[in-house]
Amino acid sequence: MPGNSAVKVEHLTVNYDKTPVLWDISFEVPPGKLVGIIGPNGAGKSTLIKAALGIVKPLSGKVLFFGRPLKKVRQRVAYVPQRSSVDWDFPITALDVVLMGRYGRLKWVKWPQAADKEAAKAALEMVGMLGFAHRQIGQLSGGQQQRLFIARALLEEADIYLMDEPFAGVDIATEQAIVALLEKLKTQGKTLFVVHHDLNTVERYFDWVIMLNMCLVKAGPTAEVFQSDAIVRTYGKSAVLLDEAARLSQHKASGKK
Amino acid sequence: MIWDALTDPVLRAPTLGSMLMCLASALVGVIVVLRKRSLVGEALSHAAYPGVVLAALFTALFFPDSEDGFAFIILIGAFLSALLGLWTIELLQTKFRVKADAALCFVLSVFFGCGILIASRVQFTHPLWYQKIQMFLYGQAATMTDQHVVIYGSLCLLTVLFIALLYHPIQAVSFDRDFAKSTGIAVQWLEGATFFLLVLAIVIGIRSVGVVLMSGMLIAPVVAAKQWTHRLFTLFVLSALFGTLSGFFGNYFSTEIPRWVSGKFSLPTGPMILLCASLFCFFSLLLSPGSGLLSRCFRIYKFRRKCRQENVLKAYWKGDEPDASRFFLWILYMQGWLRKDGAGYHLSPDGRHRAAQIVRLHRLWEVYLVDYMGQGVERVHRNAEEMEHILTPELEKELTILLQDPKRDPHHQPIPGKEGL
Amino acid sequence: MIKNPYWGKDFFSFFSLFFQRLFTGEVFTGDLASDEVQMFVLMLIAAATSIVGTFLVLKKMTMLANSLSHTLLLGLVAAFIIIQPLSWEEGLNFSTLLIASLVAGLATTFLTDGLTRYLRVQEDASIGLVFTTLFALSIVLVTVFTKNVHLGIEAVMGNVDALHKEDLKLIFGIALGDLLVVSLFFKELKIVAFDPGLASSQGISPNFFNALLMILTAATSIGAFRAVGVLLVLAFLVGLPLTARLLTHRLHLLIPLAAGIGVLCSLVAVALSRHFLSVYQVPLSTAGLVTMTIALAYVISLSLSRCSGKGKTV
Repeated sequence: MPGNSAVKVEHLTVNYDKTPVLWDISFEVPPGKLVGIIGPNGAGKSTLIKAALGIVKPLSGKVLFFGRPLKKVRQRVAYVPQRSSVDWDFPITALDVVLMGRYGRLKWVKWPQAADKEAAKAALEMVGMLGFAHRQIGQLSGGQQQRLFIARALLEEADIYLMDEPFAGVDIATEQAIVALLEKLKTQGKTLFVVHHDLNTVERYFDWVIMLNMCLVKAGPTAEVFQSDAIVRTYGKSAVLLDEAARLSQHKASGKK
Repeated sequence: MIWDALTDPVLRAPTLGSMLMCLASALVGVIVVLRKRSLVGEALSHAAYPGVVLAALFTALFFPDSEDGFAFIILIGAFLSALLGLWTIELLQTKFRVKADAALCFVLSVFFGCGILIASRVQFTHPLWYQKIQMFLYGQAATMTDQHVVIYGSLCLLTVLFIALLYHPIQAVSFDRDFAKSTGIAVQWLEGATFFLLVLAIVIGIRSVGVVLMSGMLIAPVVAAKQWTHRLFTLFVLSALFGTLSGFFGNYFSTEIPRWVSGKFSLPTGPMILLCASLFCFFSLLLSPGSGLLSRCFRIYKFRRKCRQENVLKAYWKGDEPDASRFFLWILYMQGWLRKDGAGYHLSPDGRHRAAQIVRLHRLWEVYLVDYMGQGVERVHRNAEEMEHILTPELEKELTILLQDPKRDPHHQPIPGKEGL
Repeated sequence: MIKNPYWGKDFFSFFSLFFQRLFTGEVFTGDLASDEVQMFVLMLIAAATSIVGTFLVLKKMTMLANSLSHTLLLGLVAAFIIIQPLSWEEGLNFSTLLIASLVAGLATTFLTDGLTRYLRVQEDASIGLVFTTLFALSIVLVTVFTKNVHLGIEAVMGNVDALHKEDLKLIFGIALGDLLVVSLFFKELKIVAFDPGLASSQGISPNFFNALLMILTAATSIGAFRAVGVLLVLAFLVGLPLTARLLTHRLHLLIPLAAGIGVLCSLVAVALSRHFLSVYQVPLSTAGLVTMTIALAYVISLSLSRCSGKGKTV
């Protein structure tokens, strides 16, 4: 039933020039879960998130949030992109970055109000970064930058969070702080999706897992699904053929020799 | 006749000069384009302008009667100025954290502005020399003499020798920089040498192509040549060819067009040379058999037709009615895939073989998707409909091994074996 | 020749005269001297280019801006050939320029994009190829149609001395337009420049705002075209934001600061130009002077920022 799932992906296929292919992905995740998306490099984990958010246009299929398309429930979905996707020399302060979380809500001419600024400061406080509010972001460390992105997502006051590799290049203290924060959000009923790369911590962090390798290998509660045969299939070589076939298909479609 | 341009004592110097200049820039362009640094040429050619102006001023003050001296001093001035520009770009990027594109545009505009400033002074103090400086904006080869050709020719030869001597390191670094470094090639030195060559090519070329359009002559012959080959040596040769031809025809048209329009004006050579190079580019992009647009469209068409043919044969194999016009079926009959009898068409032995092969690939792929990729049985059919036309014999062999030669597909239909076809 | 009150003035008396005229209101009630027209035009160009150029620099689109400002000439030539005005002056009315900039903008983006996407040419080569070809074409057309090479040269260098009040109105309109659009969409432009993925996820379309920025760039370049020519617009578009960036890391301060620096540079350049003419009888290119003052401003700001030890990034 549509009312029961936080996120429902139906037959999502993404076939793009240089981004990895996603083939016919379907799964459903109930609300209040901390979900790990795992798979080898090029498996399409980031692509899955981007396709769900409409950043990348899928070939077919759809993604529903609380049973409805993204356009209708944008304000309930927050995105934390990869840190590497941003230019850290940009002339902007930490506070400004966090405030960006509200931009989607402030349509056109409206400027951020005092209330928004207070909320931004509160979000910074929650991630332990209030002292850095007026620093230029290039002066922050990797862990601090990641916490900043999370604070920005917090400001969106969403019910679903999609996070792309939040633990990449981050020190252990920050990682644990972030995990604690995510746990807290989960107890508040939020649903969190995290693209993750470290197999060792999957069982500890996530209660639900999506295992991807261009196709969906398995999706479900971690205890049930995160078993050795599924892990082997996710990280194994069987997708090589698929990759090769996808490449050939693209060649034929574009008339390459 | 057009070939007079090469022999006529007045015309031959500009023609040969332009050809040699464009040859040099095309060769260096190959290296620059492969390293994806072609816009550096744009910045450096504009950075050469103040050098040109200062050199003209210098000549006007100290050697006002020496034509050869002028050519020589201009070269030195442009060279030093462009080098200064290069140094500034590096400085901005490494020490002042300016992004690459902004550094290029900043140096481009500031140096050019400096040149304009000084030129405005020269305009009033030495108006004749100002005319000479203006020639370097859009190029004007018409006033070149045989002596100039000798100077430029030797510089061009220097460029060719340089590239020829460093051919293998260039090849290694263009292909895989890190690997080249690991094998001991002095990559940084080579990159420095490349920039030196770039400055040299620009300095040689601005007399006929001009400062504003020079970067185009580093790019256009190479883009044209890339459509015809993937091998580095052939790329150099073809770029040189396109460059030289552009130099020849561009020069020719820049003198001819004013005559056709019967006007008493002169057309600068730079734009015409560039337009010729672009024309070569355009035709190469369109018509080259490998990656040209037309051949790609043709290949797509052929593939789609193959898919339609195979779908028809498959339909016959399964005993269905094929979805095709009578004409299409007749073509298949003429090609030998179908036989005719009183009741209509049916598969010939070759046709049956081919159809069975397609069905085999289809069903093998379905097994792969279901068993190995965890796909739902209902969904695999559509994708297999596509892949059956694409899978190569190598992939088929891999599939057969991986899946251990299955006999039934996920829909429990038999898979035609490899032997019993 | 209208009597020019600035005739014969040197650098300092230029300023004193200017401020005197400014404060007594003579500047607004009487006829504008040509020096003042030049100054105001350059100042408005500085303002407009600061607004637009900051985002171009942040989005690393400066080479595209360079490309666009070159192909503008083709748009102008095309407009001229189609409309066939009687003179160069008459032709440069608002609608012609509008058509020209639209044509140029469309042609540039369409061709560059098409080359990269459908013909698989690498991006830097596409940019370089498109604008040099279109610019070469326009030079040939201009020279053949007007039988005169000068226009080609003026396109590249501008001619500050030929400016008059019509140009002032045009650039004022464009600067105002830039200011309005950017103020309206400041948040959107900021987020699209900083994090296009996030923008997209919030329903803010990066494609739309990139196109908007390109349109503003085209309009601004056209506005500046007559004064400084296509190449030196780039000095404003890139130099002013780079200079301001050395002095602040807050975006909403950066733009006014860049504009302010630009205004100062324009003032100094015109004053210097008059000074050299009066004192040394040497007429210099004002466009060249303003470019060099921008470069000087950059160097000064660089030393200031290093001295204050902030180690700012750009």
